[in-house]
Amino acid sequence: MAATSPAIEARSLTKMYGHDRGVVDLSFTVERGEVFGFLGPNGAGKTTTIRLLLDLIRATSGRVSLFGVDPRCNVAVRRRVGYVPGDLRLYERLSAAELCRYFANLRGMRTIDRAVAYANRLDLPIDRPIGSLSKGNRQKVGLVQALMHEPDLLVFDEPTAGLDPLVQQTFYGLIDERRAAGATVFLSSHVLPEVQHVADRVALVREGRLVDVASVAALRARAFGRVEATFATLPPPDAFTRVPGARELDRYGETILFALEGEADALVKALGRFHVVALDSHEADLEDIFLSLYRREARDAA
Amino acid sequence: MLRNVFSKTLRDLRRTAAWWILGIVALTAFVVAVYPSVRDNPELNKMVEDYPDVLKAFFGLGQDVDYTSAVGYLNSELFSFMAPLLLLIAAIGAGARATAGEEERGTLDLLLANPLSRRRLLVDKLAALVAEIAVLGAVLWLSLVLGCHIVGMHVSAAHLGAASAAAVLLAIVYGAVAVFFGAWLGSRGAAIGITAAGAVAAYLLNSLGELVDSLKPLRIASPFYHYVAQDALRDGLGLDHVVLLLSVALFAASGAVAAFTRRDLHTP
Repeated sequence: MAATSPAIEARSLTKMYGHDRGVVDLSFTVERGEVFGFLGPNGAGKTTTIRLLLDLIRATSGRVSLFGVDPRCNVAVRRRVGYVPGDLRLYERLSAAELCRYFANLRGMRTIDRAVAYANRLDLPIDRPIGSLSKGNRQKVGLVQALMHEPDLLVFDEPTAGLDPLVQQTFYGLIDERRAAGATVFLSSHVLPEVQHVADRVALVREGRLVDVASVAALRARAFGRVEATFATLPPPDAFTRVPGARELDRYGETILFALEGEADALVKALGRFHVVALDSHEADLEDIFLSLYRREARDAA
Repeated sequence: MLRNVFSKTLRDLRRTAAWWILGIVALTAFVVAVYPSVRDNPELNKMVEDYPDVLKAFFGLGQDVDYTSAVGYLNSELFSFMAPLLLLIAAIGAGARATAGEEERGTLDLLLANPLSRRRLLVDKLAALVAEIAVLGAVLWLSLVLGCHIVGMHVSAAHLGAASAAAVLLAIVYGAVAVFFGAWLGSRGAAIGITAAGAVAAYLLNSLGELVDSLKPLRIASPFYHYVAQDALRDGLGLDHVVLLLSVALFAASGAVAAFTRRDLHTP
């Protein structure tokens, strides 16, 4: 039933470009009110997927629906959608206010008051030609035109590229606000930190295929972090072989590099038996997560 | 001016349209201003008669054209070549820009994220093209009516209007063809190149068809034939030719809609 259908539903979505794959057999569901991260390295098919969702390109096979409706057959569903493309191109001669007025008219809106309010919050000069704006300000124009009709579904393709950290925080604040208002947010990124603070669930894509869909917490729990410990005297080679979740990757000088999966407790206690001079840890980044997933797959297959 | 795609497109055309209007006014002013010295020099008629047939064919001088008459002069100096050429360039440029311009600049992704169907987008762009060319045609007509009045050329405003309308119609045909190639291929350059090449070929087919007997039956395939054959400046618009040109424009327009609504849009 349309009233309860998910915000986004992709079923066996495949897009081939000649013999090149765009995306292959993607199936995922984004529930209403959810913030959904779409994560993958560059060239993984994120933009292809998003352009399929918006009917800018057509699937080779499979189908997609927004709020239970095929976006190809029903243009009106785009009233409920706000979109910021990854490669954002704007009308250079218009000002942000003019661009918003144009799109507001196309959407049948009477005023651009909300656009002006968002622009003010983002500190965007609204009356200057867009052609004269900085990269960051252009990105803000993209955000404002996507937010001004307070849509039920926001689709962002790499939204924080070009935004300075302060504005990024404002952006995350806006996402939280929209989520609180019941909107669904779909955002793609090639780096985990960009989505992990705001996303409820994350889909991982690589080479056009969906690797996994998981909550951010679950993902981080099972991903490898990296711990780098420097000792006064290097412990014996077998000192850490029995520590659960930890694995030695490398030794150099007085330093040992560990890969850590899950909780850090066991490793910390094992380290405590030695004189630790310096300790450094990195959160799992995307590549580590993919590596851990591949290892898991390989292990499961064996 | 930002109410819809139609008015936004016209808004974007303001700058270039101003130059086109200036050019058309300047051309008609020049052509009309020279006429009194042509009229007072009957020798010219003899000279033109002695032109080789090839030359006459290319400049739209029929076998028994009176070059020094107002109608003969305007036909050969303006309506056989220069007026349709200018309008054609404007129309092909606007047609190629219609969707392919936005697609190449990358603004199409953002525009189509609005609740706007591709068909509606294309129809708006086509309507803006027709409006632009109609305005240029009106400028041509008005400056001719005024110019003819000033130098005392005896051509009725109605006939000048018919000739201008015929040129507008021919330009719209090629504008629609350019829209089609732009909508199909997504490339402005390709749309301009293919359409312009087609226009040159059609022009040659019509001109040479006048001289070469084997080509004569093929002339009806050239839009230029239907433009010239009605001799709108002398006889007014010819209904059958008008209907045929309109059909070609509509055919190209529906082809554009069909191609544009089916395919993947490119990103720059």
